[in-house]
Amino acid sequence: MELATLAAAGDRPAFGELVRRHGSSVRGLLRRMGAEPSLADDLAQDAFLAAFERIAEFRGEGTFVGWVRRIAARLYIRRWRRDGLTDQAEGELEEVTGGEATAASRIDLDGALKSLSPSERMCVSLCYGAGMSHAEAAEALNAPLGTVKSHVKRGLDKLRQRLAPPAGSSDGRREHG
Amino acid sequence: MADPDFEQSLVKMFAQAPALPDPEGFARIVEARLDRGWNLRQALIWTMGLAGGVIGFSQVFPTRVLAQMGAASDESTRMIDRGFRSLSNLQGNLDTLPLGGEVVWMAAALGVIALAFAITRAVEEF
Repeated sequence: MELATLAAAGDRPAFGELVRRHGSSVRGLLRRMGAEPSLADDLAQDAFLAAFERIAEFRGEGTFVGWVRRIAARLYIRRWRRDGLTDQAEGELEEVTGGEATAASRIDLDGALKSLSPSERMCVSLCYGAGMSHAEAAEALNAPLGTVKSHVKRGLDKLRQRLAPPAGSSDGRREHG
Repeated sequence: MADPDFEQSLVKMFAQAPALPDPEGFARIVEARLDRGWNLRQALIWTMGLAGGVIGFSQVFPTRVLAQMGAASDESTRMIDRGFRSLSNLQGNLDTLPLGGEVVWMAAALGVIALAFAITRAVEEF
């Protein structure tokens, strides 16, 4: 918050430090939403630049990184809808969901997210990664609320299967949080 | 069915930033883009200011402003001439007074002292 306050007062080095601290978080969210690494990096840069332009709007409600993640998520949604990335990614889905979940994917969120359809992945990422409510996600996606809710539900079911430890096992991601 | 524990752990997993390559390089690129945007904006402001100045000058120049300034200059020259002439007349009148030149200079010196005194008081007051 201190750095964000300094950055809001026009302190460029403070903003640079914020980028250094939270860059990976924003890039990571975009990748988890389904963006290619280079696109994720480009959009993360755009998100930080937009954040710098609008930093006076950040009033400290929530974290700075959460705010930037939401900006980045909206930028990706715009690109996602414009470029029709939904259809493009469907092909990969068959390959991933065809096989059994590997041991690695049980504990790997990134791997588990690949088992979701692009729409499910998008909705889950918006709600649990960008901190949007179902209604906000529906508005951002310009989709009916019911559709978003069902995407989230199906996505959660799939993730639970992938991430939850198998019966009888004591290890697993849930225990580590 | 909702599973709050799982959803909470999912939020935490999303919050954990993955280890991505070259975070420092990423920050440098963002800062460079910020600088570039800032420089571009400055250049734009300069260009717009220059263009505004050129347009303003081109609008003002043909409106006889210079001619009016020249006329005003002629008028001021005439006023200065008149001032000098009246001073010369005053000197002529002083010569006719039954007083010596020393008296005039003394009066002028007293006037200066009075003025200095008034200024000093004014400075003390304010």
